[in-house]
Amino acid sequence: MSIRKGSRFVIGSGLAIALTLASATQVFAQVYPPYGPDIPVITNAEPRSGAYNEDLAREPAPNPWNEESIWNMKVEGFNDNQARPIYQPLIVDQDGREILYLGNLAGTALNPLTGKQESNGTSIVDVTDVKRPKFLFHIPGPAPIDASYAAAGAQMARVCGGNTLPNASANGTAGHWYLLRAFGNAGADESHQIWDVTQPASPKFVTTVLGHLSNTHKSWWECDTGIAYLVAGSKSDGWQQSGSTQHLYIYDLSNPAKPVFIRQFGLVGQQPTAPVATAQPCTTAPSDTCYEGTTNPPAGIHGPISMGTTVDRVYMPYGVSSEGVIQIDDRLKLINGCRRSGPAGSNTNASLNCANSPTQADLLWPQISWITMNPENGAHSSMPIFNVPIPEEQANYLNGQPQSKSLLFVSSEGTANNCYGQAPHDAWILDIANEATPWPIATLNVPQYPGNFCGKGARFGAHAVTETIYPPYYGKIISVSWFNAGVRVWDIRDPKNPKPVAYYIQAPNENTESSCSTINGTTKCFNATMNDYVEYDDRGYLYAADRAGTGVTILSLTGEARNAILPPSE
Amino acid sequence: MNGKEILDLRQVVRGRAPGWAMATALCGLLSLGAASAGTPAPPGSGEGAGTVSDRKLAHVTPGKSTKAQVQALLGEPWRVVQFNDCGKAMDGQSDETWDYRGRDSAGTFRVHIEFDESGVTHLVAKIPDHVLGDKGTAATIAPDERMAKMGM
Repeated sequence: MSIRKGSRFVIGSGLAIALTLASATQVFAQVYPPYGPDIPVITNAEPRSGAYNEDLAREPAPNPWNEESIWNMKVEGFNDNQARPIYQPLIVDQDGREILYLGNLAGTALNPLTGKQESNGTSIVDVTDVKRPKFLFHIPGPAPIDASYAAAGAQMARVCGGNTLPNASANGTAGHWYLLRAFGNAGADESHQIWDVTQPASPKFVTTVLGHLSNTHKSWWECDTGIAYLVAGSKSDGWQQSGSTQHLYIYDLSNPAKPVFIRQFGLVGQQPTAPVATAQPCTTAPSDTCYEGTTNPPAGIHGPISMGTTVDRVYMPYGVSSEGVIQIDDRLKLINGCRRSGPAGSNTNASLNCANSPTQADLLWPQISWITMNPENGAHSSMPIFNVPIPEEQANYLNGQPQSKSLLFVSSEGTANNCYGQAPHDAWILDIANEATPWPIATLNVPQYPGNFCGKGARFGAHAVTETIYPPYYGKIISVSWFNAGVRVWDIRDPKNPKPVAYYIQAPNENTESSCSTINGTTKCFNATMNDYVEYDDRGYLYAADRAGTGVTILSLTGEARNAILPPSE
Repeated sequence: MNGKEILDLRQVVRGRAPGWAMATALCGLLSLGAASAGTPAPPGSGEGAGTVSDRKLAHVTPGKSTKAQVQALLGEPWRVVQFNDCGKAMDGQSDETWDYRGRDSAGTFRVHIEFDESGVTHLVAKIPDHVLGDKGTAATIAPDERMAKMGM
């Protein structure tokens, strides 16, 4: 793992942090995955006791349900997103402008810019001035089918700069910016699309990368290599999954206008030729016709995260909310594993149909490890943080040298209103220092009380872990969206003992979609917000996106949460 | 009577909607008359006295009213939300919700109508924008609604 020489930031340097927080730069997020190959270095600057924040004030109870609750955070800005329910926010420093892309859940709402009702698609908001976000454009999503929006929405967004993509001059991408988005969710003719968003107020359709799908979800796009990991499924591809019927389609999108298919990929037991009727679990009955995980066929993937060319690993969460499996793959073997010769990672024993109908051996070629979760939980997110110093282990242990751990943050997804009929959904920290044997070392949990979150209406439970690498936060804090319990932030400087350090629960407003449930024979509707995703920009602002249509709130850290990213002397 | 209702009625008359839609539309229009309904605001305006009156809303029947009937009666919704996610319907959240805006003597409110996968209304609620306290707002559901079995 290399460190970028001359990096403008070294974690642990108070001066650098102070300067960073004082002045916005665009460099941070642009050199780290998915935009570049570098990985920040985390320098331990903490006491060996590991006793961070023991003097913290006790986490305050939230306010009544119809009020905002905020702890160690500050609201900086807000945009109502035209009352559309948001799934995923993504903030990109685009030629000096901070552009927020919002992937929306299905439905329709009025676009005041056009005066028309538009099917929910992708919102584009200029957040350069966080105090005054400016809604620039809404790219509509799919039209309803037979008067139903069940298959609509455009939940996911990834953006790459043409200057970062390979062969920019030859491909004509220089100076351009490209949006990769899901078009539709689960229906008859979903797809993944590319749009040119060089002018974010007037995006232009480029091409459909992959169409005629039955499912789409959260893709990943390496900007410096062009490799894209598309989450998709079709009724004709023959792949087999339980739950979310989706797996990976890997493409080379170096030239976004001319996608090049590489291969399909999934867990052992999902391939088209897997004998689902007779397959046995690989854990207890390993064979060349087994399946990985707790259900047959294994549950579909949610969203892969590649850590690019330096780390050369792809982290894959399967199952979303149940029957979870977390898989770690060798990136080059994944990309090149269907080639019998040539680049690194190629496999001389690859089958002839490896790209579309791989054998079990083809699927095992890039697999480094997998771990099965309690089937009550699934793997929604899997975000690694590398070489986090363990403060209590700076001496004595092993070789007496300071010890660090590479960590994988995994979240399940709470899916039921009022917690009804399902297990609690949490997030976990896995030790992946030995990547062949991932092992959980801590749980990130939000207690139901105080707050009575299971009686508040809407969903309660974990959802997604922040995916943007923002060096001042890297290895210091982690943020997880927790639906009706809002944005949750933990101090992870002592990762075996993570401590809650901030939260933000948005108050409902006139756009908040109500959640209705029948409890003890009485049906009621509650105006509860649901934080679907929280994401960072390269200035350290947090974007809390509401699933219930309440808008997107821009936040900064204060108090102990801010202290967590600063050395004790600051 | 507003333009949207006129359009819907014409569609019914031209046979573009089934008989029940015609009956419902006519019933709604006749029962409301022109006076109390006022002029609904354009979709998305979030304002407009009498956008959805109680009398109109009373004609939306959980377990019976279809999307076509609701649209004929109330017009185009201010917003539609569909929470399907992760490639599958999540635990009863495959329902489509139509929202309307309105204002009465108590202030602004939303009418929240949920449809099941077959497009039939199964829940109706009139929800104030600003609910005091943590009490929630009562809703009407279809008699055999699945949520009715969800005792806690």
